[in-house]
Amino acid sequence: MNKLIKKQGSNICFGVIAVVLAVMPLLYSAGLMNSSTVLFLGKCTAFAIAAMGIDLIWGYTGILSLGHGLYFALGGYAMAMYLKLQSTGGKITDFMHTGGLTELPLAWKPFLNLPLSLIMVIVVPAAVSGVIGYFIFKSRVKGVYFSIISQALTWAAYSIFIALSPYTNGNVGITEIKSIFGSIKGESNKSRMFLLFYVALAVMIGVYALCKFLVGRKFGKLLIAIRDGENRTYFSGYKVSSYKTFVYVLSAVIAAVAGAVFVNFNGSITPSQMTISYSITMVIWVAIGGRGTIIGAVIGAFLINLCEYNLSSGAMVEIWQYIIGAVFCITILFFKGGIVGFVKDQLPEMIASRKNKKAKTEKASAEKVKA
Amino acid sequence: MTSNENVLEIKNISVCFDGFYALTDVRTNVKRHTIHFFIGPNGAGKTTLLDIICAKTKPTAGNIMYYPEGREPMRLTGMKEYKIVREGIGRKFQVPSVFVNLTVLDNMILSLKGHKGIMDSIFGKPSEEELKSIDEVLEKVGLLDKKDVRAGSLAHGQKQWLEIGMQLVQKPEIIMLDEPAAGMGKPETFRTGEILKKIKDECTVIVIEHDMDFVKQAADTVTVLHEGKILMEGDINDVLADKTVQSVYLGRGGEK
Repeated sequence: MNKLIKKQGSNICFGVIAVVLAVMPLLYSAGLMNSSTVLFLGKCTAFAIAAMGIDLIWGYTGILSLGHGLYFALGGYAMAMYLKLQSTGGKITDFMHTGGLTELPLAWKPFLNLPLSLIMVIVVPAAVSGVIGYFIFKSRVKGVYFSIISQALTWAAYSIFIALSPYTNGNVGITEIKSIFGSIKGESNKSRMFLLFYVALAVMIGVYALCKFLVGRKFGKLLIAIRDGENRTYFSGYKVSSYKTFVYVLSAVIAAVAGAVFVNFNGSITPSQMTISYSITMVIWVAIGGRGTIIGAVIGAFLINLCEYNLSSGAMVEIWQYIIGAVFCITILFFKGGIVGFVKDQLPEMIASRKNKKAKTEKASAEKVKA
Repeated sequence: MTSNENVLEIKNISVCFDGFYALTDVRTNVKRHTIHFFIGPNGAGKTTLLDIICAKTKPTAGNIMYYPEGREPMRLTGMKEYKIVREGIGRKFQVPSVFVNLTVLDNMILSLKGHKGIMDSIFGKPSEEELKSIDEVLEKVGLLDKKDVRAGSLAHGQKQWLEIGMQLVQKPEIIMLDEPAAGMGKPETFRTGEILKKIKDECTVIVIEHDMDFVKQAADTVTVLHEGKILMEGDINDVLADKTVQSVYLGRGGEK
């Protein structure tokens, strides 16, 4: 039994999370929960998906990307553009009018069609990250230098999205959109919301299965090898840069899928999802949940967001950012493995050492009695 | 193609770093399936010689010929580093570098010859044969019972043996070890010697070492370098008996 938990612990844990989520709509139907909580959990599902991608690149491969918000937003925008055109009936939008455009720009054309839009959700971020990754990793940029570049690129993309206001609606972003299944607001659209929720859950399970599969293969060991000894990996005959580019693209695509799911629940996308601070937030989820475990990313994403959801209303709203910052610092300083690492490694160690101590003091007192 | 009992011929190698000759006209042959030691005081040029063999450093003059078994001989001087590795010359550096967060078995699997592509690493699996060869190598280096242990939790000596194992599993023709016994205690050093004797059936072993007991235990041939020149070469008894060697090397606290 113990062995089972040790070996399958993360899968069991993920199973529990998935089942609990699956029950939520039923609770809502029974009147035990309000719709906004279910919607929020749907968003959390999207965050968990993005976090798993970040765990692959940071937790396993050791590349700290502070720019995954860019890919999250690219996926989100691709989805939102399709949904926007659905609500305008394929006509040009208000902000395009205001921007002086008279017909639908070429860049928007692919998003008239659902399958094509879904392909764009994956292809656009894959192409962007592929080009960026290829050049960065080929020239062996690593460590903080990579992190800085990833931030700078995200900042650049943010500025571009704001500057191209006739095409992207600048600061405001793409708003007033329904989900892929139609409107999900209100009691009458409950079944659509449930459908969307379960689709999101299924995507999350799929991404989890994919990540678990990858890290269980030799591929996953290689990522760890790259993280721990990049030069040694080169000496063993592996082309490390292609591996890094591959993981980078993969995690970017996962982030984009997450963004697309997010938009459906959120009903809008703005450039703020593309900012550096948003990207760093994602990294914080993974750090607190426990990096290099996949399940840690899921736990972290849900936990932090649920805390934020419950605490950031009322008096806590102003200090919430400070709390999360402090928790992050404490995690990095004292619990490098995050929550999962603490439960898996540090806690058993502490229990074992306490037992030892107890045994020792008992022995000592027994000897005292003897004397 | 002539058969040759030498696997490596080092021909008149000189290296000059900004006017300082690290090696001067070094010429020696390494015989197939032997353990060949290079010894000498610090700065004698031992590591530089290894650097030249694996093309990390370019010689100022001279060249090195390599005679792989059953294949055409090739000139190592001027070849690319990674190509030399692929042709079967492995090198272990002084500091043990294993993948600490992976198990011993995973370390070995990553070192297998071939299968270096991404798709291969996702969908491929090591064959029965390869797993068997890993077991054989682990048996030789005495780590078979540690197969599922995290490499980071191995003792220093065991890490060194694991790294030797990681070289062996690539089926090299020559393996070069830079002070494999550094930082080891007597019993561990002795075991390292025994491991080297076992593996010389499969490949040629070139070793740099200071520990004279270790040299006595394992060496087939010893080359003594001093100030970039070959002082003498022969079997261990000749070397120990030589007056010049005694005065420049052994006499200066090299006994231990």
